[in-house]
Amino acid sequence: MSTREVPSGSDQVNRLQRWFQAVITHADGVDSGAGSQEAQRLIRLGPGQLERVITRSRALTAAERLAIYANAYHTRLLECLGEVFPMLKRTLGDEAFDGFAFGYLQDYPSRSYTLNELGRHFPRYLEDTRPAADCTEPDLSGAGSPVEAADEWPDFLIDLAHLEWAIYEVFDGPGIEGQAFLRFDQLVNLRPEQWAAAQLHPVPCLKLLATRFPVNDYYTRFRQLKENESPPMPRAHQSFVAISRRDFVVRRYNLSGTEFELLRAIQGGFPVARAIECAARASTDSVDQLASNLKLWFRNWTAEGFFRGIKLPGDNTTTANKNEHEH
Amino acid sequence: MVLKRLGHPHLGLGVGLRTVHFDYILQNHPAVDWFEVISENFMDSRGRPRYILEKIAERYPVVMHGVSLSIGSTDPLNFEYLGKLKALAKDIRPLWISDHVCWTGVVGRNSHDLLPMPLTEASLKHVAERIRTVQDFLERPFVLENPSTYVGFTGSTLSEWDFIGRMAEQADCGLLLDVNNVYVSSVNHDFDPEGFIRSVPHERVVQFHLAGHTNCQTHLIDTHDNHVADPVWKLYRLAHQLTGGVSTLLEWDAKIPPFPVLHAEALKAKQHIGTELADQRMSDLPIEPEPAELGGARGVDRFQQESAVPHPLHHTMAQVA
Repeated sequence: MSTREVPSGSDQVNRLQRWFQAVITHADGVDSGAGSQEAQRLIRLGPGQLERVITRSRALTAAERLAIYANAYHTRLLECLGEVFPMLKRTLGDEAFDGFAFGYLQDYPSRSYTLNELGRHFPRYLEDTRPAADCTEPDLSGAGSPVEAADEWPDFLIDLAHLEWAIYEVFDGPGIEGQAFLRFDQLVNLRPEQWAAAQLHPVPCLKLLATRFPVNDYYTRFRQLKENESPPMPRAHQSFVAISRRDFVVRRYNLSGTEFELLRAIQGGFPVARAIECAARASTDSVDQLASNLKLWFRNWTAEGFFRGIKLPGDNTTTANKNEHEH
Repeated sequence: MVLKRLGHPHLGLGVGLRTVHFDYILQNHPAVDWFEVISENFMDSRGRPRYILEKIAERYPVVMHGVSLSIGSTDPLNFEYLGKLKALAKDIRPLWISDHVCWTGVVGRNSHDLLPMPLTEASLKHVAERIRTVQDFLERPFVLENPSTYVGFTGSTLSEWDFIGRMAEQADCGLLLDVNNVYVSSVNHDFDPEGFIRSVPHERVVQFHLAGHTNCQTHLIDTHDNHVADPVWKLYRLAHQLTGGVSTLLEWDAKIPPFPVLHAEALKAKQHIGTELADQRMSDLPIEPEPAELGGARGVDRFQQESAVPHPLHHTMAQVA
């Protein structure tokens, strides 16, 4: 074998590995990979000269053997993305989903030791590429006019991708299983001035999502249908959802716009009174309505374990810490 | 002098811990000797996977098996990854930690595949040095597995058994002898699998792997989606005889059956190592027909080739209410 094709010396392994990776991960297959600028820069081969680097077996050519790795690379990662975004895949259909996922892998190849990170940039990729409705045959009957629906289709898919990634992150991220969370009776016993200045500490698994489509309801509807059925794309409607986790199971809660703003302000570290002011500015509810809703919301949120503790003015410890000792 | 199995205990017959079996194991506490867990699925987990692992580690011996160390890569070792590996080991106290003699990517990328090493003096030196670094960092001996491979390099100058044997001696590490991988590679590269098994340093073999593979007519793929093939059981019996017996683990990663089926497959190993009678029966087992005999030299079964994916595919699946 000519030493011109295969490098020798201390960089031999490095060059061979970079060449191999360029060949098996190329979007157009092994032959295109070997002919790519990157591969040629590392090991210069003419057409049909792969066997200068890769041996043939009794049954397979060098190209066929390399294709085993190339097929496995794409198949494995497409399968993984499909399992991270199951509803998006069912919405798009296998072929269209795999098409987008394949493009995504070219732009965002994995750079992590874990496959759990593979889908992190997929929502952003969809925002950048905005998959058109003509790539598949979506059921747009639930949306507005066909023209409007086709225009809105990419936004709907992007919203759904954001929801599925948030669910995925909450499932295996930090939570408070085994620890106490704030109870409603601990809030109602506060004096008004304490309540106004209190800072509520949300649980680390609480995520808030604002979407242009009611994708949380769509997700729920999808789960109720059989594997081969899919609900139509819903009408565009600004929607809000809280995603959290209890007993290691992800839970989803639809929110009103005012609830979302209030929780977002609390999550941003605002004391309760200022958080309520933020929510009130965004709300169309009357003051009385808002006041009566607040009690209901905090009752619901504490029942669902949205807060792990509360910090009162002049108090260095949080109620959560005290709870942990009590429990 | 090297201690047999590097001083590690013989744990018996274990199975790979997979997400689909979490509930069954917690509810039934099956009489499995030990579990092997995929390190990467737990090192960042702060949810149910980690909780389940801790529960299982309280009751069963556990070994950590990785797929992303990339010991053969020419990229720098990832010490953030190694730090997390070490932290997980501190928490769950595995009997040992293993990974593969391979590389998974270069220039910062990860193919999530176990890519083949060129079998040269340069790559041997490279791998052995890195194993020593990893062992120093982890403060414990490391265990390396022979992967299934589908290509050979024209520049290779060593056999795979020479490579891993010398690697183990130079790095002073343990070996995880994957018997199925030996068989898969022997068909794909046309070498004698028994010669491989006979040639590795037996005292350094800490563990065996068993798994199913897919016959694609012209080659075999290590799919971990089926029962262990008869020729692999035959090799296993030989490996058992030569090593004197080491911890044995069954891997099943695709089309995963219910836990009792998985466990029953692992327990079949007893028939192959337990009695003289079983040995005699095994000696009569037919060798799986070689690819050329099955499909002709050029008859690639495209469907099978494209649908058969070598392991690993390990990631977390969310549970949603």
